[in-house]
Amino acid sequence: MDTLPLTILTALSLISILILISVGMAIIFGMMNVINLAHGEFVMLGAYVAVIAAQIGGFWLALAIAPLLGAGFGILLESTIIRLLYRRPIDTIIATLGVSLVVQKLVELWFGSSPYSVMNPLPGLVDVFGTPYPLYRIFVIGCAAAVLLLGMIAYRSTNFGLNLRAAIQDPEMARAMGVDVAATYRIAFGLGAGLAALAGVLVAPLTSIFPGMGLAYLIRSFFVVIVGGTGSIGGVLAGSAFIGFFESFFSFRLGGAFPQAIVLALAIIVVRLRPKGLVSG
Amino acid sequence: MSSESTRPAHGRMALTVGIGVAFLAAYPLWGTVYGMSIVQDALILGIFALSLDLLWGKGGLPSFGHAAFFGLGGYAYAIVSMQLGNEWGPLAGLVAALAICALAGAILGVFLLTAGIRGALFLIVTVAIVQIFHQVAISWSSLTGGDNGIVGLPPLGLRSLSEHAVLDTPAKRYFAVLLIAAAALLLLDRLCRGRFGRRLAAVVDNEPRALTLGINPSLELTKTLVLSTTIAGFAGTLFVASAGVVVPEFIGPLFSIEVVVWVLIGGRGTLIGPFVGTFVVWRLSQEVSSYDPRLWQLAIGSFFVLSVFLLPRGIASLRGDAARALFSRVARAVRP
Repeated sequence: MDTLPLTILTALSLISILILISVGMAIIFGMMNVINLAHGEFVMLGAYVAVIAAQIGGFWLALAIAPLLGAGFGILLESTIIRLLYRRPIDTIIATLGVSLVVQKLVELWFGSSPYSVMNPLPGLVDVFGTPYPLYRIFVIGCAAAVLLLGMIAYRSTNFGLNLRAAIQDPEMARAMGVDVAATYRIAFGLGAGLAALAGVLVAPLTSIFPGMGLAYLIRSFFVVIVGGTGSIGGVLAGSAFIGFFESFFSFRLGGAFPQAIVLALAIIVVRLRPKGLVSG
Repeated sequence: MSSESTRPAHGRMALTVGIGVAFLAAYPLWGTVYGMSIVQDALILGIFALSLDLLWGKGGLPSFGHAAFFGLGGYAYAIVSMQLGNEWGPLAGLVAALAICALAGAILGVFLLTAGIRGALFLIVTVAIVQIFHQVAISWSSLTGGDNGIVGLPPLGLRSLSEHAVLDTPAKRYFAVLLIAAAALLLLDRLCRGRFGRRLAAVVDNEPRALTLGINPSLELTKTLVLSTTIAGFAGTLFVASAGVVVPEFIGPLFSIEVVVWVLIGGRGTLIGPFVGTFVVWRLSQEVSSYDPRLWQLAIGSFFVLSVFLLPRGIASLRGDAARALFSRVARAVRP
């Protein structure tokens, strides 16, 4: 029985989700050196937006609303808390941990702690290299690819992309050249949060949705950035491919919660052997 | 010279601990059995907080996954003692728990610390480690009992020596835990003020300089990590042996956050602070949680966020006169 194409496609849809979550993490943690323990909450909020949207009859509505809400929440978080703490890393960790706990518990008070699920909006199967494959997963892969392409174009060839690269490389010099570094950071943070929320919507029909779901994505995205190497889109791709591929690979063979544990252990080994990541020097 | 200047400080610590022990030793005179069990649990969790403070406060290595070792000790005790029965099981379980936690600390130390992994990277790795342990504890149900854990654990003690050498009554457990907690606090304080502590402080202060002075930074930090994981495992063993049950929550990420809270509020790097912090915060959490379990995390989360605004020098400054400064700051803030 030929399960290889199936494994690869399933891995690709997980990798797509990880890329969307980790682009924000790469900017926030990899480039701005801010440890945001509330990053998983953007994903969780995105998934709950999908729950509400599906209940009022329009899953697709969530795809438009969640990124905006996520970005809004991200910008709020940056401008009220994180902005004050760029020089106090331990306090950033504690404050964002606080935000994460509060957001989780507010969602739990509102929705309850029992998990929700969202109906698959594209229930069909398509034939991929002779293997029937869920249409929705193909859609997820396409979405991530499109967003990534747009992101790379924006990073390379828009004014904002230029400002961001300048602000990250040398904030003092960028400021001297007239770049509003604070605003650039804020928008970058918002974009990262919006993408994570978008990933939350996309992942909603594939998983169960509960207030604490963000933690697993938070840890994965940290390791995507650390394993892949900070400071480049290539690093995010490599890290997502590593985590996503091994997780799908072991899920096919073992099932249960062991695969995640094995992948985290593998990631720790990679961190030990290549502390600067797979893609760098 | 420095040893003279540290003696009185250790004396003050001994005095504080002595007063605390005297008070708690007299507590059964008026306290209820239920009250004693609460104090005893708080003392055990205080030892757990102590292990994190040794690693984070003294060794500068933030662990946000320290329940991994508390739970590892607890599960090792549960599995071994249930296998071997009441005669030798508890002793073998304790030895197994301490050994496996020391081994885990040594492997992690050699593997990570010698590669120069510190600070934020170390923190993220510890979060991953507790996640791994938690998932294994849930998934490997033939060994760990899965979500239900393992119940009916025997109490600590040595039944083959004497029927009385078993901590099977609340009073025996209470006094044994009190003695162990006081001893742990005093020994660690001694250790941190001695040669080991000064070498460690040199490493935390400036690694390259410590290296030129002939200190091996990774070795000192690994020793600290091993000591810390072993103490955490010991606390876990005491806790599950007195509760008679081990569940996956003891090895989980949320419990790891709880101990971070105790250490931060008690005052990182002071050893006795986290102990007191555990007493106060854990008790408070029990009270609030009995009302509604969700409120506690909401309160802790809000406290963390507010601390950024109210305590610009960090939560660690929340002690003694700093607390008074906080109140005057709040008073000024609310005055129109």
